[in-house]
Amino acid sequence: MTDSLVADIENCLENGWSDGLPVIPPYSGLVDDMLAAMGYAATDIIGEIADQQIQVRAEHAAATAVMAGCKTAYGPLLRELALAALDPRFNLSGTEVTTGGASVTVFVSGPVVAALGFEHEANALGANNRANATVGRYAQMLRHFCGRGGGVLKCHGTVGHPGRISFCVAEHPSTVWAPFHTQFGLPAASSAVTLMATEGPNSCNNHYAATGAAVLETIADCMAHYGQTNWYYRSGGFVVVLPPDHMDLIHREFNRDQARAYIHEKARRSTDELIRVGRIAQPPLPYAEVEPGQPRSPLKNLEQLQFIECGAAGGRFSAVIPRWVGSLHAICRAVPNL
Amino acid sequence: MSQTISDGIPARRLTSCGDRSCEWLVDPIPRPAPAAITITLQPRQPRVTFIDHSKPNSIIILGHAAEILRERGVTVADDILVKPDASQRMPEAMLQRLASEPGLVLCGVSD
Repeated sequence: MTDSLVADIENCLENGWSDGLPVIPPYSGLVDDMLAAMGYAATDIIGEIADQQIQVRAEHAAATAVMAGCKTAYGPLLRELALAALDPRFNLSGTEVTTGGASVTVFVSGPVVAALGFEHEANALGANNRANATVGRYAQMLRHFCGRGGGVLKCHGTVGHPGRISFCVAEHPSTVWAPFHTQFGLPAASSAVTLMATEGPNSCNNHYAATGAAVLETIADCMAHYGQTNWYYRSGGFVVVLPPDHMDLIHREFNRDQARAYIHEKARRSTDELIRVGRIAQPPLPYAEVEPGQPRSPLKNLEQLQFIECGAAGGRFSAVIPRWVGSLHAICRAVPNL
Repeated sequence: MSQTISDGIPARRLTSCGDRSCEWLVDPIPRPAPAAITITLQPRQPRVTFIDHSKPNSIIILGHAAEILRERGVTVADDILVKPDASQRMPEAMLQRLASEPGLVLCGVSD
């Protein structure tokens, strides 16, 4: 490594062109190659953040991809990811500054998972693999670079979570139920990238259950602890991560819709107890639809619950990823099959 | 209080210099390009307008604040305006109305 390269990396770190980790300096030659891979010219406008009078140009996204360490081969996926992040329904700026400390969590599904070499088995939620690590980092850097009004706004996350550095989850190329993106209306044969603003994952351990129902009850209980965020507004949701060993039990008894309905039925808590411990504001807003004396679900509707199949065989763990309540929409975009 | 990366505005331009020449690095950060606006630094009228941002208890706290100000002889607008969603931008009509407000505008109370 040359002294000038080290100086450039330090220069980026010291002047706010970083997520806190060393970056690949965005040399124009590298950015041009990334622009070509993404199918853009440098000055193409790829999104706007109207609240802040910001226009995002393709060169901003391409420079970010270079800095995150992405390969140019990821270009078509990175293009769709940027468009998803800048979709006004996603609320990128809110995700950046909220006290909720949310990440821009990336879900990759379909043939592109194998084509680009994403890890979808061992440590699927935190894989030490270039595709997962850099694509997840690119999403967080887009949030950090584009969501702060050029640096004017401050991040207010109370505790945040490690996914704000990188959080990319890839589904198995071959799934028991239909692929993840079919839950957002895309055809099964598609490749897709889906973004959600989320909290960190909660692990669900059940090594001794004999039935899929018992596993789903464990998952439902994980969604229903007092501290989960969605009790009051209920405008977020959850992604349930199903690795092979738990899936082997579940799919014998449930299809995806049945599993969703079962979890919805089981993940309940006494509204009165939620009020007692301070999880429901008093007096509640009409939007919150609070019914004292009734059991309360953390979901307003079944569409707030999705499943993704990934993770390694040989351990009876699942996971629940709670969504941030301020980003009401998951954004799912098709990626060209490579 | 600790220093974080969010404490400063990121540099607008960085250069990379080799032995013979320098080049600009490509800026990854989009910057606001606001249309020219007139900012009133000092209220033209001695009155206060409150805006609630719909988070729990915000309107109660603002109501108490309004009472305290009135007791101290400050004119406070009769109605507390309500921004429907704390995580979303306020409606354009509300923004325009507040932009022309001659008094002091105080927004919301966080979590």
